[in-house]
Amino acid sequence: MILAPKAWLPLLLACSACATAGSLEVVAATPEGKPIEDFAVVLEAAAPSPTKKTKSAIIQRDREFNPYLTIIQTGTAIEFPNRDPFKHHVYSFSQPKMFEIKLYAGKPAKPVVFDKPGVVALGCNIHDWMEAYVLVVDTPYFGKTGQDGRAHLDNIPEGVYRLRYWHPRLMDELPTRELRMGNENVRLTLKATVPPRPAHNKPPLEGSGY
Amino acid sequence: MSFRSLRNRIVAVFVGLLVLVMAMVLVLVNRSGDQIIDGVIERQLKSGARTFQILLSQNNSQLEIAAKLLASDFAFREAIATGDKPTILSALRNHGNRIRARKMLLVSLDGRVMADTQNPSARPYPFPLPDLLSNAEQSVPVSTIAAMPSEAYQVVVVPVFAPARLAWIVMGFRVDDAWAREFASISGVEVSIVRKDKGGINTLATSLSGELAADLPKAAARLDSSHSELLTLADSHYQSVAEPLDKNVLAILQRQIDQDAAPFRTMQVVLWGILAGGVLFFIVGSFLLARRITHPINRLALAAKRIETGDYSDALAVRSQDEIGELASSFVRMSEGIASREQKILRLAYQDLLTGLFNRTRFLQALEELSEGNPAAIALVDLDRFRHINNALGHGVGDHLLIVVGQRLDAISRGSGLLARLGEDEFAFLLPEHDQNAAWAFAETILEALRKPVEIDDQRLDISASVGIALFPQDGVNASTLLRRAELAVYAAKKHRSGIALAATVEEQPEPEHLSLIGEMREALVRDEFVVHYQPKLDLHSGEVIAVEAVIRWLHPERGLIQPCKFIPFAENTGFIREITPWVLEKVVDQAARWHESGRKLLPSVNISTYDLLSAGLVETVRALASDQKLTPGLCLEITESALMEDPEISLDHLMQLAALGVRLSVDDYGAGQASLAYLKALPIHELKIDRSFIHSLAQSPKDAAIVRSTVALGHALGLTVVAEGVETEADFVWLRQVGADLVQGYWIARPMPASELEIWLDKRQRWAVAAN
Ligand SMILES: [Cu+2]
Repeated sequence: MILAPKAWLPLLLACSACATAGSLEVVAATPEGKPIEDFAVVLEAAAPSPTKKTKSAIIQRDREFNPYLTIIQTGTAIEFPNRDPFKHHVYSFSQPKMFEIKLYAGKPAKPVVFDKPGVVALGCNIHDWMEAYVLVVDTPYFGKTGQDGRAHLDNIPEGVYRLRYWHPRLMDELPTRELRMGNENVRLTLKATVPPRPAHNKPPLEGSGY
Repeated sequence: MSFRSLRNRIVAVFVGLLVLVMAMVLVLVNRSGDQIIDGVIERQLKSGARTFQILLSQNNSQLEIAAKLLASDFAFREAIATGDKPTILSALRNHGNRIRARKMLLVSLDGRVMADTQNPSARPYPFPLPDLLSNAEQSVPVSTIAAMPSEAYQVVVVPVFAPARLAWIVMGFRVDDAWAREFASISGVEVSIVRKDKGGINTLATSLSGELAADLPKAAARLDSSHSELLTLADSHYQSVAEPLDKNVLAILQRQIDQDAAPFRTMQVVLWGILAGGVLFFIVGSFLLARRITHPINRLALAAKRIETGDYSDALAVRSQDEIGELASSFVRMSEGIASREQKILRLAYQDLLTGLFNRTRFLQALEELSEGNPAAIALVDLDRFRHINNALGHGVGDHLLIVVGQRLDAISRGSGLLARLGEDEFAFLLPEHDQNAAWAFAETILEALRKPVEIDDQRLDISASVGIALFPQDGVNASTLLRRAELAVYAAKKHRSGIALAATVEEQPEPEHLSLIGEMREALVRDEFVVHYQPKLDLHSGEVIAVEAVIRWLHPERGLIQPCKFIPFAENTGFIREITPWVLEKVVDQAARWHESGRKLLPSVNISTYDLLSAGLVETVRALASDQKLTPGLCLEITESALMEDPEISLDHLMQLAALGVRLSVDDYGAGQASLAYLKALPIHELKIDRSFIHSLAQSPKDAAIVRSTVALGHALGLTVVAEGVETEADFVWLRQVGADLVQGYWIARPMPASELEIWLDKRQRWAVAAN
């Protein structure tokens, strides 16, 4: 569930001057002050942004996807190396990228290229609780909060950006806002309520058929 | 029913106790029966409810498994992801059919029904149970029974993950009457699913049939989920409980009481039957028992009543061996004891112990019972000279003689009448239907029977008797008159030695006054109404009073002083003289002794009756006085000439004995009887008293004067003192002194007077004598 917009007030704090590029620091926490992990913070520039094609990977280990949330620029390819001694069946029914890597072990032959922006939910057809998200964005400026609830976006050129927040367990994207970035370091605090990860029953390995 | 009766009380106690106990049992059984029934129903209901819940959850899990299976199907998820509606519908149908689920929906995350197998062509529409979805978001999965909207379904909501939540699968079983009946048959309780809202209760599904189902909405209105209630549906009773299933949907579980209560109702009927039978049995049983107890008691009471009236005849038959039998036999022994004692008492009262004959009392009773219309005769038998035999041979022989006489009389009395011994030697017959002739003839039989000598201890005793006959009713109508008349007749018979005498021929008819005197004499003796007066006897030789004649007087409280001639003859006739004479003797002897002590020399004389003379009692009495040293002043007994002639033999015997005791004997009324001088000469007498009739006529009759003169001479010739009594004039006195009489007495000298008066008179006379000298 999301809080009403007024519940979270991004605070613009004083920032030190910076010549060509600034940086953004977002702290996401619940109203009670508990840090929220895996909050995606995305800055979209009005003008087209340079593309920096990179590769990424989502590892399957201990019957979990790692990382839980991956943010990539459109066109990025993601590898799905399997580090477990058994097979996985990774799939996505999400519109931006529907795919399926049928039972495989080790590293699949081809990485998956995410060529449309949007949210892609990843699952494993063998292990129902395995869950991962890929946020595909058309900008190179993005970051996600760590366990401390903090996200750092550096080297952001001066300019006006649209600031977007997103979290896998929030149905809807939070309202966007404009953010003018200068040479300074901007610090924002985000208050939100994010439901905990659904407790999928992850059976123990031993003696099980998984 | 009277509770005074022992029988009724026994019955009441027995039956009352039984009814009490049974009533308590019934109350207990009823109460605990109701409790047990309530408990059974409650348990049935609870277990039914539990079964219902288990069945529900089984259904749920069936639905859930099917839904989850579908939700995890990769192809299905792919179809959802790609919006492939035909595939989705077919997958839903396929999985639903496996478990015969009727409702299968795919609902989008925003609550719109995207696919409905029952209505495949429908455009997306809002899911009618949005709450269910929001619940499902909280806890996965969700199941319930819900109305959608007019049909009820047991539904589960399962999310589809891919891996994020993609959609909802809703699967449901139709909840209808068939479903409810199936539940009911498994759970054992009636199951109804109802929707409750403002408009009331709508039955969605029920296992109840027609009428019952129709009554349910109304009856269930007051039911809430907190506790069970008793509802009445079409005259049947149902313990009912409501289980909420969904917001407005309730399951009503009901157990019919009647089916569980039936065994108890049967038991109660049986118990009532046992009670009724038991009461009946106890009434009859205790009635019989009580009768067994009270019947002999009642018989005892009846027997006691009979004994109360003197009837001992009906012996009580004792059968039982128990306490009552013991009581009855004790009772019988008691009544036998009473009867035998009563008989003994009767015998003692009515029997003469010596002879075994009836006694005087019984005879008098028989006389009292005589009735006017039935003439009868009394024959009184008196043995002659019995006193003589008794005295001469002793009482043993006398008694033996009486027994033999009794036996002889008894032998002839058979069939003739009642025989009794009245007194010493006096027997009496009551002869019913006997007239004078018959009685006379019977009297001769009596004399005949006694004519034979009696042998006692080798002695032959010649006996004879005299019989006096009195006739009823001619000679008297009451017992005492009859008996007295008969007694007078006996005396007459003795007197005339005729053997038999009829009362009718005995002249002496006592004056009525005398009759009552006789009865009073005995009381008079007790009350000390008799007194003794003394008349001086003057010695013509010395001019001194040397003797006194004692005469009895009766100071009757009403009639005043009664002369002895008025009552002594009857005392003699009735035998009462036997008591008077000793009393007089005692009195006189005592008085003489007192005079003797005070220096007066007075010889007392006492008149003796015929009866006294002939009875042994007189001699005994005098002998006793003599041995008590009471005869020191001397004693003179005056005996009439006629008494001496009554039974000369006995008279002589007795006179000899008296004389031997030192008693002076005087012949009274000499000249009136026919005593021969020869006889007198043989008697041990000392004195002659010339009959007063001669003295009275001395002046008028020279013949009498001559007789007196010759009597004096004759007496002197025999060595006897001659006394003249009845001297009433001086002329007589002078004349008597001239003819040589020894002693005189009479009114001219002094009339009889009490002892104290006599003393005064004597003292006065002494002074005159002194003065004259
Ligand atoms: Cu897997």
